[in-house]
Amino acid sequence: MGLFKYNIEKYTPQQLMVIPLVLFVMSLMVLAFNMAATGMPVKPGIDFSGGTAVTIITFDSREQLQTTFSGYPLTEIGDVNNGKFLKFGTMDDKQYQSLTQLINQKYPDAKIDQIGESFGKSLQYQAALALVFSFVGMAIVIFLSFRTFVPSVAVVLSALADMVMTAAVMNVVGITLSLGTTAALLMLIGYSVDSDILLTNRVLKRQGKLNDKLMGAFHTGMIMTSTTLAAAAALFIVSWFGSVQILMEISAVLLIGLVADIINTWLTNVGILKWYVLKGGGK
Amino acid sequence: MNSKELKALATDWRVAILIVLVVLSVIAIFPHFDEQGHLATNLQYGLDLQQGSWIQLEYKAEVVGFTTDEPVDEFIASLTKQVDAEVILADATHLEIRKPYSQADLEPLFATAGGKITSYQQGVSKSTAESVKRVLENKINSLGTKDAKVNTLTGFNNVGRYIRVEMAGVDMKQAQDIVGKQGKFEIRIQTTGNNTEHVVSGDKITSVQVPSQEPAGSDKWGVGFTLSEEGAAEFQAAAIRYGATVDPANHYLAMLLDNKTVYSAPLSTDLAGKLQTEKIRQLFASTGTGKAGSQQATDLEIHLRAGALPVDVTIAGSGGTSAPLGERYKAMALLAGILALITVGFVIYYRYREPSIVLPMILVNASEVLILLGFIALIRFQMDLPTIAGLVAVVGTGIDQLVIITDEILHEGKVPSPNLYLKRLTRALGIIVAAAATVVIAMLPLALMDLSTLKGFAIITILGVLVGVIITRPAYGKVIMQTLSK
Repeated sequence: MGLFKYNIEKYTPQQLMVIPLVLFVMSLMVLAFNMAATGMPVKPGIDFSGGTAVTIITFDSREQLQTTFSGYPLTEIGDVNNGKFLKFGTMDDKQYQSLTQLINQKYPDAKIDQIGESFGKSLQYQAALALVFSFVGMAIVIFLSFRTFVPSVAVVLSALADMVMTAAVMNVVGITLSLGTTAALLMLIGYSVDSDILLTNRVLKRQGKLNDKLMGAFHTGMIMTSTTLAAAAALFIVSWFGSVQILMEISAVLLIGLVADIINTWLTNVGILKWYVLKGGGK
Repeated sequence: MNSKELKALATDWRVAILIVLVVLSVIAIFPHFDEQGHLATNLQYGLDLQQGSWIQLEYKAEVVGFTTDEPVDEFIASLTKQVDAEVILADATHLEIRKPYSQADLEPLFATAGGKITSYQQGVSKSTAESVKRVLENKINSLGTKDAKVNTLTGFNNVGRYIRVEMAGVDMKQAQDIVGKQGKFEIRIQTTGNNTEHVVSGDKITSVQVPSQEPAGSDKWGVGFTLSEEGAAEFQAAAIRYGATVDPANHYLAMLLDNKTVYSAPLSTDLAGKLQTEKIRQLFASTGTGKAGSQQATDLEIHLRAGALPVDVTIAGSGGTSAPLGERYKAMALLAGILALITVGFVIYYRYREPSIVLPMILVNASEVLILLGFIALIRFQMDLPTIAGLVAVVGTGIDQLVIITDEILHEGKVPSPNLYLKRLTRALGIIVAAAATVVIAMLPLALMDLSTLKGFAIITILGVLVGVIITRPAYGKVIMQTLSK
């Protein structure tokens, strides 16, 4: 890819790893801060915290909506194109029924989803479990396929850094953790290791000069990540345009995660791998 | 490429399989124009891509592991009094308590009854979950809702905490009415010929037992139920008035649910004799012997409950999508898919600038999506928005892997000899299999768990990866070799 010249040769492993290390620590701080403030590393959406989400397509302004729903615990109004996403806190059955009636009457084309608090808790628990299992499973596959300690650790570490950075950016730009974004994070666990596997494979299993192998891998790896980026970007643009919230969030998380993946594959993973090979590991 | 080469390529087994599968997929998807002239397919849509509602119910009950030194029957009887609710033996070491209690609240009650709690979980046993499912399905079917699904969500240890009802083409208010609706149950007695008279209505039935054998172990099945004092009095009065106590054979008793007869039998001579002199609250409706009798007993239990669930539930979550929004989402999903393919195509073209590489890549990629859609249509899987995201991701990573193959084979810009080609293809496939394995492993927990809508997404992503690795990648390897060796 001729977009820019990235000369891996020029930098020592230490230099390569400074930037991601700083980013990683900053991300951990963001997550820790959020954890201290809210009890969760990433702000949970209604899927996990319970509540009611309403999607309506309307030209009504924020103020108008606030007046319409003034009798209900309206906590948030999201606004993309002419799609409005309303979030309500927990309500008792009666209030909820009257809310659905009001919505049916004023905005008959709405989409309503309501999640009870305990149901949300159980979803949250299962989602956390799924994330842990996925990550551990991925790590096992990596160790089995490389059977060497340092390179495997490098891949797993890069994937972990992807997750942490993505979660931190989600906090910063205000994407909540929902079923959809959990799916996106899981997708990232699987997909972010693609380019790492390619890199490690090229460096450890091919003949030739280290820097040539690194550059070759970079060439192929970047095109791989950019195709996935292109697909995610297409999804993001369409879902923004059509105000399809869940797809917008999934694609946004994928975009963030893929950028983090570029950083972590070509700085973190390359750094560790280069250090390992220069030290005499591999062939 | 001339026609001879093309023919050779098409008859290569890898390519041939791909082509056959694409054709089969198109047949499975079956794009056609319906009566209104709209383009229609066999694809099924989930509740966010069409009008529909979902309700998820949570059982107000728990399954508790127990030990006791008392005989189990006595222990259960004593515990039933303590908790003031139905207690059912779920299996040898677990009880189902049909009333919400916390573990801390239950412990003293167990102690009083002479037992100990070994485990505690909110929810019901699998068999109760199944009967709740049957009750809900009966209700929905009786209303003729065209497209409904009831899923019991059972955890790893056979304890179900939730049950999810999905109804297409129904708005949320209707859906809640259907799930909450009670049937009208009554017992009538035959007077003369085909005429019947009302005896008692369903609200006089205070409890319904699970199907049992009477006497125990006889394989003669039936369902026991209890009438209220008042109901028992009415029952006795009617039986005497119409002569069922002296001539049971000509005065059948019939049970009706929503005016349809669901059970009809005469009084047993034994019961008829007793009714002559006393009120009887505890009744038993026998249904016959063997498997048929047991099945009928199960159905009768549901009917006796008149649509009431055997265990109380609360609404844990619900939602619905309107028809216009569903249509809009469907259009957006289609647009996103097409746009993803096009942008990916541009990126690939930018990199290789060689139509003979780019074109096969895009075609193989598109065929992968097509095969996946064909499979989705075949298993009648309901596509929803997360599934669409999964499909778009399949496009993105599918291309990734084709890039790996292309770059490995084209290593150092030279077209390799067949021997070297095979070696490199094998190496590329090695990388791909490792990458694919991580995706499959990463998605496996979701596919196995019941995380509401995400299960489908995970299954589709895994399928996409498998289709890629098993079918489309090897075919692409063959195609690209043929193209390059020109």
